[in-house]
Amino acid sequence: MEVTIMINILLICSEGMSTSLLAKKMSEAAQEKNIEVNIWAVSGTAAADNVNKADVIILGPQVRYMLSKISQLVTDKNKPVYVADMRHYGTVNGKALLEEALRRLGK
Amino acid sequence: MDGLELICFKIISFSGSARSNFVEAMKAAKSGDFQEARRLITEGDEIYHEGHKVHSDLLQQVASGNYNDVTLLLAHAEDQLMSAEVIRIMAEEILSLHKELNDLKFGEISEEKSNS
Repeated sequence: MEVTIMINILLICSEGMSTSLLAKKMSEAAQEKNIEVNIWAVSGTAAADNVNKADVIILGPQVRYMLSKISQLVTDKNKPVYVADMRHYGTVNGKALLEEALRRLGK
Repeated sequence: MDGLELICFKIISFSGSARSNFVEAMKAAKSGDFQEARRLITEGDEIYHEGHKVHSDLLQQVASGNYNDVTLLLAHAEDQLMSAEVIRIMAEEILSLHKELNDLKFGEISEEKSNS
């Protein structure tokens, strides 16, 4: 019997808007891998209320400068918090972004 | 995927990265690492230039009659581009200010006070 795991992925960008298409593309990539993901996007200001609900936190390049501030908000220090690759983000490469998230989660 | 959406994402990613470079440059200047600050600004300029190229292509497309609608995402992309430029301008000034402060705190006073 297959056990499906649900991975919660939080995307952080400057308005929570530019990542909506990204979330869709990553979900599609996850479907192809038969992985269940719950992906949502918020702005940097809403990070505090959201980081601890996610398994992995990805920052858009436009909020890279907030990395240390956001990392400090995450109580579980083993949780991956990182900045998405500029080119993967810019080309909305859902597959590459998902694979990076999985790699950082050790999956 | 809609062509305009992809163009917007490219602009947001490049100009956003550049923006982060300029903000980090100011933080480096604040810590007294002026070499790193300069390196971040120079790198930021290169990244900004890539975003600007994408934007220039978009302008040409619009001139040819494509992409007539302004979407919220496009407005956001424009905003990222413009604000990156503003922060770049400020970063240069902040870098100068921190250098002056640094010199005042730790450097030698270059003016000679004459005792008269």
